Amino acid sequence: MWSAPQEMRKVGLYMVDADAQRAAMTLARMAVLHPLEGPDGETLPENPAAPYHEVYHDLNSRFGKISGFIRKPLETPAESTRVVTLDQLQALDQQLKALWAQISALEEQIRRQNEKIAAIRQLANSLQKFTSLDLDLGRLRRQGRFLRIAVGTIPAENFNQLRSALSLTQFLIKTFYSSEGINHVVLFGPSQHREEVQDLLQSADFRGLVVPEEFSGSPRQLQADLDLRSEEAETRLAELQQELYDLIDANLAVLQSARDALLLAQPYASLGNVLKGRGGLVYLQGWVPARRENEIRQQLDGHLEYPFQLEFSKPGQQEFDRVPSLLKKSRLLRPFQGLVKNFGMPGYREVDPSGLFAFSYLLMFGMMFGDIGHGAVIALASLLFVRSYPGVTIVGVLAGMSSLFFGFVYGSLFGYEHVVPALWMSPMHDPVQVLLLAVLWGAGFIVIANLLAIRNFYAAGQFEQAYFSGKGLAGLLFYLAAFYSAYQAANGRFGWLEALVMAAPMAVIVRFQWRQSSGGLVERILVVFIEGLEHIISNVSGTLSFLRVAAFSLNHIALAAAVFAIAGMLGGFGHGVTVVLGNIFIIVLEGAIVAIQCLRLEYYEGFSRFFNGKGRAFEPLKFET
Amino acid sequence: MSSFSSVYLDTRLTVLARRLFSFEQLIDFIELDLERILTQVRQHTGYDYRVDHSNPRLIEGQLTNHALDEFLILIRPFSGSERRFLQFAIRWFELVNLKVLIRGKFNAIDSDLIEQQLIDLRKFADLPIKQLLETDDPYEMLRLLETTAYGGIVRTARRVYEEHGNDLFLLDATIDRSFFIDLHHHARFLGSEDAENVGRVLGGLLDRFNLLWLLRYRFSYGLSPARSYYLLTKTGNRLHSAHLLRLARLDSVEEVVAALPRQYRELLANVAGISDMETVMEYYSLSLAAESLHRLPNLLSRTFSYIVLREAEVRFLQALIKGKQLGFENDLIRQAVGARA
Repeated sequence: MWSAPQEMRKVGLYMVDADAQRAAMTLARMAVLHPLEGPDGETLPENPAAPYHEVYHDLNSRFGKISGFIRKPLETPAESTRVVTLDQLQALDQQLKALWAQISALEEQIRRQNEKIAAIRQLANSLQKFTSLDLDLGRLRRQGRFLRIAVGTIPAENFNQLRSALSLTQFLIKTFYSSEGINHVVLFGPSQHREEVQDLLQSADFRGLVVPEEFSGSPRQLQADLDLRSEEAETRLAELQQELYDLIDANLAVLQSARDALLLAQPYASLGNVLKGRGGLVYLQGWVPARRENEIRQQLDGHLEYPFQLEFSKPGQQEFDRVPSLLKKSRLLRPFQGLVKNFGMPGYREVDPSGLFAFSYLLMFGMMFGDIGHGAVIALASLLFVRSYPGVTIVGVLAGMSSLFFGFVYGSLFGYEHVVPALWMSPMHDPVQVLLLAVLWGAGFIVIANLLAIRNFYAAGQFEQAYFSGKGLAGLLFYLAAFYSAYQAANGRFGWLEALVMAAPMAVIVRFQWRQSSGGLVERILVVFIEGLEHIISNVSGTLSFLRVAAFSLNHIALAAAVFAIAGMLGGFGHGVTVVLGNIFIIVLEGAIVAIQCLRLEYYEGFSRFFNGKGRAFEPLKFET
Repeated sequence: MSSFSSVYLDTRLTVLARRLFSFEQLIDFIELDLERILTQVRQHTGYDYRVDHSNPRLIEGQLTNHALDEFLILIRPFSGSERRFLQFAIRWFELVNLKVLIRGKFNAIDSDLIEQQLIDLRKFADLPIKQLLETDDPYEMLRLLETTAYGGIVRTARRVYEEHGNDLFLLDATIDRSFFIDLHHHARFLGSEDAENVGRVLGGLLDRFNLLWLLRYRFSYGLSPARSYYLLTKTGNRLHSAHLLRLARLDSVEEVVAALPRQYRELLANVAGISDMETVMEYYSLSLAAESLHRLPNLLSRTFSYIVLREAEVRFLQALIKGKQLGFENDLIRQAVGARA
């Protein structure tokens, strides 16, 4: 039902520098080592993998930038034992650096070409406004001795400032057309300020309509000229893009080599800050699953060329916080482990609650959504995701089966309560009993959560917490005593014994909190009082929270009754359609709400009582694919 | 904003405002050694600043990060256009990174060295620093920058670079100018009361930058009056378009000072040199922000003022601590932090 993450060992591997990469690759193939940064200090002051890491990083970054331009898929390397040397990495990095310089230059040309095309289009737009006029645009080229005229475009946000600035040069500017944040303008003024205005216009990002030397005609002819320029610019852009692709194609072999090298170099490069050494001796440390000790030794024996020393040690209690958690693998539990990790990773010595979570989650889902038909639909519909989201299929099929089982218990089929005989009874027939059962279920759930908390404290060596805290044994005894006392009170039998069994564990909890608190007297009294109160309230509210299990099972029937009431008002076809749509509505909407409510109960009433979720996931050194 | 949020923010602002150093207190720090400065800063602000001699920039990061944490708290109660305005104002910090990146890449400085000069803005960071540092040439970086929230600013900076080369002042001024135009644009969407109150503080800043840029463009760079005027940003409190146009036509710093509105003329009457004028104007614009923070009831304006004042304080302390760490003479530090005027 539950287990702790796998037993781990701290491993220390001493080897010669020449073998370090082979060791990294061997361990990466096995995916068994969670690397740990080596000890700092004078004993091992060097980081032998650091230069390799740096070059790898540069190469990886360049390859990443270039890979966006590769149109043909690269092949996956067949071998995984070839050692890529630092020199080989550097050579590839230099090749990619040179290639990227060419690509970047082409990209810049493409950018400029795009800007040019946009400018020509803006001018063509401008010119269109003149086509209806019989205007000699040749005048724009033949600037007069006293008057200068210019036509062009500027970004709209620059217009007002430019107009004010131009007033200092006795120039006037007028917008004759405005579109998409661009103002199409004509400006004119005395020729003597021409140079000053030229600089100013450049700052304002003015793009002038240039009238070619040979031009002496109407706007229509100039339009044809612009069309030609636009066409030429587009052609040049296409050429540049083709040049870029040709460049990539011509360098595919280099890119393939770089990709292969990156894949093979990745394990050793990732040890850049981890590996420590001195004078040709290298030390690698990390965490490995205890059960694979022998296999690791055998593999290293087989792959390393030089002698090495391998040490395994059990983690000490003071190291538990740093030991990564490797959850036991189970195809069935994997999606539930995902939901557990969503709350937090179990610590190394903590219980992995995935099994308990899966069981209780499915049980509650079935209790809250018990219906043979709805359960079957959920289970079957989940099969649709078997390829794309196998986790959804596993959870969906199991939840559907649970719903189907409770459907038989309640005798409910697509909301019909009298078609299938109930193995027990429909919740509607005795809601009080159902509510009572939900509370009992909640109490049992909280007791289990409390037991797990005690186990976790114990495993982490926090014995005082395990015995005396509100989440420990004292808390559990208080909870059971409170439950017993409530039962006695309900039967009119609450007396000094009941008060005593509640007060005794509470006194232990308060004493523990008092010893844990710090600060002034008043502050400590306040803290202990509030925490004690909070403990009582959270137990009561936590237990009552499980009433929702009963509430949703009743709600399920009530929703179906509402659907049938509406359907009953309609005739034959309408009745059928309403029942079908109503059932779909119940499955989709209520099903989703119940799924979320179950998760909420698990996280807040279960996990938060025994599970701090601050563990570190086991992240092994491995080949990236 | 709900009345509860207003009371909360008002209290926060009051507490934080008390932690700001006055200009006089900051100037007095110059005479102290680094340990005593830090002791006083710790006592006054409640933050545990630490100096790591192996990582001199650690303290700079701490100063920025504490300020950003405060801004995060202060802007939380705001929503809509008010929040967007404040978030944009905080981008002022990121402009420092933008300038460092552009300068660094165009001067072919090693990426590690550029990285050391960048501020870690955490949640406020919009720039993809890692990718930008990994670019191989300045144009590649500009292309990447053009895809960020700073695309417009960068396009303008690119044009200035292509026109004038790597001139630090022009590049900085271009970036700042675009920032203020956008900030002014954001202020236009505020409610009338907010806009009026914020406008007073923002107007002081705009006057300060416009006057400084005008003086530099005209008399340090010798640009024409029209071009100098064009390169200014939105107009502020006292220096309106007509003023600035008139000032741009003048032929010397003295003539410009003499033609300023009375208040600025009196402020700058006995100040020689554009750098010192810059300091005096900065002090004046900050005094407007301080007045708004301590005396006015408008919460948006007070928050904006706090951001302006805190940014200036962080900048001052960073320069001061860096100077002390490098063992500079007090006079040199005084000059670097602008305390000479």
